[in-house]
Amino acid sequence: MSYHCPVCKKISPAPLDLARHMIGRGDKVHRDWIYSKGFKYSELLLLQIKSFGGEGFKALAEVLEKETKVE
Amino acid sequence: MSKYSVIGTRVNMVGGTDKVTGNAKYTTDINLPGMLYGKILRSPHPHAKILKIDTSKAEKMVGVKAVVTGKDTIGKKQGIWRRFPELCDEEILCRTKVRYIGDAVASVAAVDEDTAEEALELIKVDYEVLPAVFDPMEAITEEAPQIHEGVELNINVNRHIEWGNVDDAFKKCDHIREDQFVCSSQAHMCMETHCAIASFDYNGKLTVWTSTQSSYYIQVLLMDMLGMREGDIRVINPYTGGGFGSKFELDSAQFCASLLSKKICKPVKIVLNRMEEFTATKRRTPMYYFLKLGAKKDGTLLAKEVRVITEGGAYTAMGATALYLTGFFSSFPYKYPNYRYDGYRAYTNTQPSSAMRGFGAPQSTFVGESQLDMIADDLGIDPFEIRRKNGMTPDYVVPGQAFIQSCGLHQCLDKIEAHIKERGKLPPNRGIGIAAYGFMSGGIFNWFDTPYAFSAAIVKINIDGKVDLFTGANEIGQGSDTTLSLICAEELGVNFDDIRIHSADTGICPADLGAWGSRQTLMSGNAVKMAAADAKRQLMEFAAAKLGVNIVYDLDIKDGWIHLIDRPERGVSYLDIVKATIRGKDGETIIGRGHYTPHRKGMISPAYSFGIQAAEVEVDPETGKYKLLSATTAHDSGQVINPVGIEGQLEGAIMMAGGYGYCEDQPTENGRVLNPAIGDYQLIRSLDMPETNILEIDTYEPEGPFGAKEAGEGLTNPTAGAIGNAIYKAVGVRINTLPITPEKVFRALKEKEKKEKK
Repeated sequence: MSYHCPVCKKISPAPLDLARHMIGRGDKVHRDWIYSKGFKYSELLLLQIKSFGGEGFKALAEVLEKETKVE
Repeated sequence: MSKYSVIGTRVNMVGGTDKVTGNAKYTTDINLPGMLYGKILRSPHPHAKILKIDTSKAEKMVGVKAVVTGKDTIGKKQGIWRRFPELCDEEILCRTKVRYIGDAVASVAAVDEDTAEEALELIKVDYEVLPAVFDPMEAITEEAPQIHEGVELNINVNRHIEWGNVDDAFKKCDHIREDQFVCSSQAHMCMETHCAIASFDYNGKLTVWTSTQSSYYIQVLLMDMLGMREGDIRVINPYTGGGFGSKFELDSAQFCASLLSKKICKPVKIVLNRMEEFTATKRRTPMYYFLKLGAKKDGTLLAKEVRVITEGGAYTAMGATALYLTGFFSSFPYKYPNYRYDGYRAYTNTQPSSAMRGFGAPQSTFVGESQLDMIADDLGIDPFEIRRKNGMTPDYVVPGQAFIQSCGLHQCLDKIEAHIKERGKLPPNRGIGIAAYGFMSGGIFNWFDTPYAFSAAIVKINIDGKVDLFTGANEIGQGSDTTLSLICAEELGVNFDDIRIHSADTGICPADLGAWGSRQTLMSGNAVKMAAADAKRQLMEFAAAKLGVNIVYDLDIKDGWIHLIDRPERGVSYLDIVKATIRGKDGETIIGRGHYTPHRKGMISPAYSFGIQAAEVEVDPETGKYKLLSATTAHDSGQVINPVGIEGQLEGAIMMAGGYGYCEDQPTENGRVLNPAIGDYQLIRSLDMPETNILEIDTYEPEGPFGAKEAGEGLTNPTAGAIGNAIYKAVGVRINTLPITPEKVFRALKEKEKKEKK
């Protein structure tokens, strides 16, 4: 099972890794996709920054798990 | 007896005689016929729009030959990040906006420095001052002014590293600590400030003499920023008075001198003054650290989580790499089964932060080694035991990141523990603290997208047996010319004095990424070794024919004698074979070529150095003032190539890293650096230097030339952490913010007194 970035097609082994990639890349096209799913990029970042546990990644990973899975 | 003839011997530094006799010519000493002098006008505002720049009065001033502003540029933004264009964000000469006090807006070339300085005062810049933000924790809020268009929360870059299952692992821990630390800034304090002489001629060729850590980078960055071809730009690196990470990006002196020279076809020299050096170049990255560490009762470390917010200043510079490396080295030098790092770099309206000796590792070592002692204390475990239990060992894989081949950490622990035992019981208010570390030995980063090998070298053997060694490596005072000459001499079997090295001139030397990331001994060293071996092979072909040896015999050269390895008495003179080879090849020059690029060596480096340092302090409990009495280091650098060089590097590292731990800082007020002068900037001076000792460790790095790895930058990592731990041992107070000033110690002691009374 792998997860393809909906923007640049980068392959990740897990949705959490893909979330890390998308937030980490942070350029306009990746941010636009994140916005299109109802998230505010800056809020995800703030979630990440303010607490341990990778909460911002986890929130995005939930969506990515459903939408970007590839056999 | 050593199996080597040359490496490991004590030799005079190449160029050392020139330096101690005052004959060495640095960029600032070079004067060309008809040369003009340049000065740079800088922003007085931390954040402002440029509405208009009027240079007319300056242009009319007698003695002024040229004035340039952002309008004279081709409008590109510079940065080493050619693979990540969004990170190239610095115009150098700002066109529409300034983002820190010190941003360059115009430059003047005149017949002398005073005229150029006066002309700057005649340039009128109309600004619209904008709200500014200086603290990274404020910069990442929704309310903060946006410093670069489209960058949300002013977060310039973020970096993440993770392996294992951190959340599950914390649940299994017997003890968890959460701590916060703040790491301050630091100036590079090179003896030689940034400077350049640019000479553009009527044939369209540009030659730049400059103080730099990478001639090749500067050549290509100038090409990008000036719209020229690489081959039309020659960058020459004369003697250089230090770099420490501050001189491998294109700077305002190099760019403005080149732009001015291109405009008027005359050589232009720009030398930054010390105040510009303090306020308008780059600096060490300040960092806010949030650490969570979990362990079993017996001291086994199960999980670590690290969050870092760094003060980036106005531009990306090399800060993105510092952000990544501080995360990577936060796991060093231990085997964490579960690890998570989240790092964020915030733009602020302050001087950009960037690479500085250690590249993020001194920060992570200070916080990590402090917290490790704290958790050991909580668990009642000896600091050596917890390090031994969890320390890296040879052939360890850092999941998804790195493969450690040689690792002498445990030998280092043994040596330092024995050293401390020898010291015996200490008098009151004295303490010895330890800090362990690891560091890369050549950074595997190709942000620059170079198509060349990371290092390359050419060896030319002359008719008299003397050897010319050409390398793009940059000698910046760290001794790379000496180290590379030793490697070349050893491989060729000639004397050290037979080597004449030509380095860091893009006109005659092969490309090399330069002196950063502790890469020259290993990477340039491998290239030199390969080039020498190539030249040697050509000699051996003739030697074998002349000796008529059986094919089963291998030949080698030692002390000018080419001989059968198994029958060393049977051989032929190196000089005779050199002559025979050149004659036999119809006069063709003997040239050996070598190159090195790491492949399949992980994300960071092909090899890692390790070590542990013990710092001894004596604290005056009345005032908080303390003295750093000694620093003893066991450093694993593989096979030692240049022992005198290591001693010099160690002393320099203690001075710089001790300063970082003890006193160096660059406080600001509304974006203005408050101590931009040597008189105000506190650092460890010669009279404050502690006794420094190095304990030898015997290891061999398979990836390094003759088994060698780095022995310079890594040494700057442990000192701040060792000082912090030593103060705790001496008087029982823990300081979590750098620098650990006497004032902070005094306040902590008072706080401790209050608590004890309660």
